[in-house]
Amino acid sequence: MGYALVLVRRERLSLDAFARATHTHPDLIRRLVTLGLLEADRDAAGELWFAPSQVAALGRVQRLRAGFALNYAAIGLVVDLLDRISDLEEALRSSSR
Amino acid sequence: MTTPSRDFYEVLGVPRSASQDEIQRAYRKLARTYHPDVNSDPGAEDRFKEISEANDVLSDPETRRRYDAFGPDFRQVPPDMDPETWARIRAGAGAGAGTGRTGPGGFGPGGFGQGGPDLGGINIEDLLGGLFGGRGFGPIRGADQETELELTVEEAFRGGRRSVTLEGPDGRRTLEVKIPAGVTNGQRIRLAGQGGRGSEGAPNGDLYFVARIAPHPRYRVDGRDLYVDLPLAPWEAALGTSVAVETPSGEMKVKVPAGTSSGKRLRLRHRGLPHPRGSAGHLYAEIRIMVPAKLTDEERRLFEQLAATSTFDPRSR
Repeated sequence: MGYALVLVRRERLSLDAFARATHTHPDLIRRLVTLGLLEADRDAAGELWFAPSQVAALGRVQRLRAGFALNYAAIGLVVDLLDRISDLEEALRSSSR
Repeated sequence: MTTPSRDFYEVLGVPRSASQDEIQRAYRKLARTYHPDVNSDPGAEDRFKEISEANDVLSDPETRRRYDAFGPDFRQVPPDMDPETWARIRAGAGAGAGTGRTGPGGFGPGGFGQGGPDLGGINIEDLLGGLFGGRGFGPIRGADQETELELTVEEAFRGGRRSVTLEGPDGRRTLEVKIPAGVTNGQRIRLAGQGGRGSEGAPNGDLYFVARIAPHPRYRVDGRDLYVDLPLAPWEAALGTSVAVETPSGEMKVKVPAGTSSGKRLRLRHRGLPHPRGSAGHLYAEIRIMVPAKLTDEERRLFEQLAATSTFDPRSR
């Protein structure tokens, strides 16, 4: 099986499209944005728009919630720490070459 | 098919006499190590699934009692069966049916769906739900995974294809990875949909290969620049010369100007690693002046003559 590299297109998803793509209720998504667990842009009409990368971000939030029975505030902390660790690991990798 | 399921106590690393507290503690510790968002190794997901299954069974006193009594086949045992009768039935049914894999299956639909006839049509997936599904969370996209891909300098230079075998929830799988020419240390190569399994039909995560360029006997790598030693005889360095330098794209003639000292770098423009969307790195030939370990009588005489004649002092400032 061969897999080509995938180009990430810079497109945005509306709240509804994002909710459909992730099978998640829009109310929960709004709440996760408020809690800072998802990144979204708000347009002039006040509508939320999501980068495709946020689909993966939501998956991580849900897996952490399911796997550790964490509340959303705690997930925010865990996600931040995981991101910091991967940044540090990346820096370590590039400095040890 | 996958390997037979391991003993759930073994999976959690607790004795069969473990208290509920000990089981809980062992599960929490292991979950923190192998949760797919904490551990991006492709093998971790499988391990986490195993740990979750063991915990699901052992953390509930009733299912634990049945597991202790009937072993891995406990889900097939009718509720009022006593262990001895069950053992007799199993012995009668022949060894084949009894040794079949009965452990819970993969994450998503199809992971284990086609349970063999000896399972009596029971789909373990339905009983347990997926890894994260079935607990009121709905479909969840799989986690991204990451694994290192060691490349030679030549592979990074030319690009190409590489077959990589990974252990996953469905056993071993071989992926053909396309390595772009000019990949650098730490660069990530993404294989969409090849990461952790999504639950309940949600998409899989992505798999990332992180390129690591292995130490090379000749080239040192810094970003897209390559460094190579260029050994010269003292007279070559003093008088200047033209020498062949090996580069990943083949041999190149390099003109060494007269009066070149050790440590000086000669730059071969754009002869380093290529850049898919920009200019290639450079190749630097670093001068190293070598002297013969043993001199012939004639060489010694000439060096002595040079020493007597020359006023050059490399330590004067």
